[in-house]
Formats: sequence, structure tokens, C-alpha cells
Amino acid sequence: MAKDRTDLMQGTLELLILKTLERESLHGYGIVQRIHETVEDLLKVEDGSLYPALYRMQERGWIKSEWGLSENNRRAKFYKLTRTGQKQLERERANWERVSKAISRILQTA
Amino acid sequence: MNNLLTRLPTEPEVEEELRLHIDLLVSENIQRGMSPEEARAATLKRFGNIDRVKNECVEICRRNRPLQRAFKIFLMLLALAGLIIKITSTDFHVARIGGVFILVAVAARLLLYVRSLTPSRFLPRNETSSFTIFR
Repeated sequence: MAKDRTDLMQGTLELLILKTLERESLHGYGIVQRIHETVEDLLKVEDGSLYPALYRMQERGWIKSEWGLSENNRRAKFYKLTRTGQKQLERERANWERVSKAISRILQTA
Repeated sequence: MNNLLTRLPTEPEVEEELRLHIDLLVSENIQRGMSPEEARAATLKRFGNIDRVKNECVEICRRNRPLQRAFKIFLMLLALAGLIIKITSTDFHVARIGGVFILVAVAARLLLYVRSLTPSRFLPRNETSSFTIFR
């Protein structure tokens, strides 16, 4: 059965980025790759939409960046979760669970 | 506070970052068996509008610059106020507050300076944007 790809809902990209960066520092391409590997084509993340989200998150202090070398020895900007970002991840995760629970209940009763 | 102390990326840095992503996507598509032309077309489709993305990122950085400039002026004024207090005050405790003002202002300014130096050493010199090949 063919899987339907779903466009990412508004606001969830930040949650996915925070979660992806929880374990390790990654550059933009690495973040997208990791998300795609994890969701196995169920969600569509437009690569370009990642960067404004990263810059906004950095502006809010959730992540920080550092230039380093990529696996193929090219300069790359690596993003890392900050302590504020870790707290934000917990908040976003709790919020997501609350919202999805609420929607599930509505779908079950309707 | 984070916005005041974070080094803001410049436009060439944004381009450098996006260029790497695009090049890696092209390589990935070529590895999947596409011709270079097909790989570039597929990359553009997947990435979205490069100029729009770049401008959006640059704009996010730009809107924090006036804030940082104002913060630098504030630090200068703080140091100046500290100096005046230190020179004019006869009370030891008040003079000490002036000293603290100077110390805080100098430390924050130094931090800003150090942060402005760190990543720029990775920046390429005289590199032009490779985005033109996709236009």
C-alpha cells in the first residue's frame, strides 16, 4: 500500500528539530536527513524551510551554532541544543502530547 | 539577552551554509543514479526557492543588529558612568559600585568581541555564490 506523505503542520518543524538535536550536533543537511530517516517518508520536510526555522530558533536561544568541518571536509555550520532549548523541547513535547490526545479523543467519539 | 551576545551570521555565511546543503543534495541525487542536470532540478524542487530562503535568513539576522548596536552603546555609557562615579565619589562604597559598572561593561564588551571573532576564521575569501548555477 502506498504511503501518503503528509505536509508538516505549522509549528511542528521546530519540535522535530529540537528532538533531532537532542542527541547530537548536526548541520542543516544532517538534520533533514535524520528527520527523513526517522519518519520514513511519512512526513515531507521541505529542505529550504529548515533554515528560517533554525535561524528563528537560534534567535530565541533554543539552539546555538558553530562552524566546523563536515564528514566530507567542507565547512559546515553545526547546530546544538542549548539548555533553554532542552526546556523548550520538554514544553513542546508536553504540548504535542496534549493536543494529539485531545484530537484522538474527538476522532474516537465522532 | 541571548540576542545581544550571539554573533549574528553575515549574508556570505548564510550563502555558504545553504550552498553546502544544495551541493550535498545534488551529490545524493547523483549517487541515486541521476544525471547532474536531473540532480540539480530535483534538488531545486526539494529545497524550494533558494533566494527566498536566503533572504528570510538574512532578514532574521538583520533585525537583531539595531538591538546589538544599542547594547554596545549601553555598555559604553555604563563604563562612562562607572568611571565618573569612581572619579567623583568620595565614599568608598559608592566608588566601588562605579568599579563594578566598569568591570561589567568591559567584560560584556570583551565577550561580544570574542564571539565576533570565532566563526569568521572558517569563512572563505573571495568566494562567489554558487546559487547562480541554479537560476
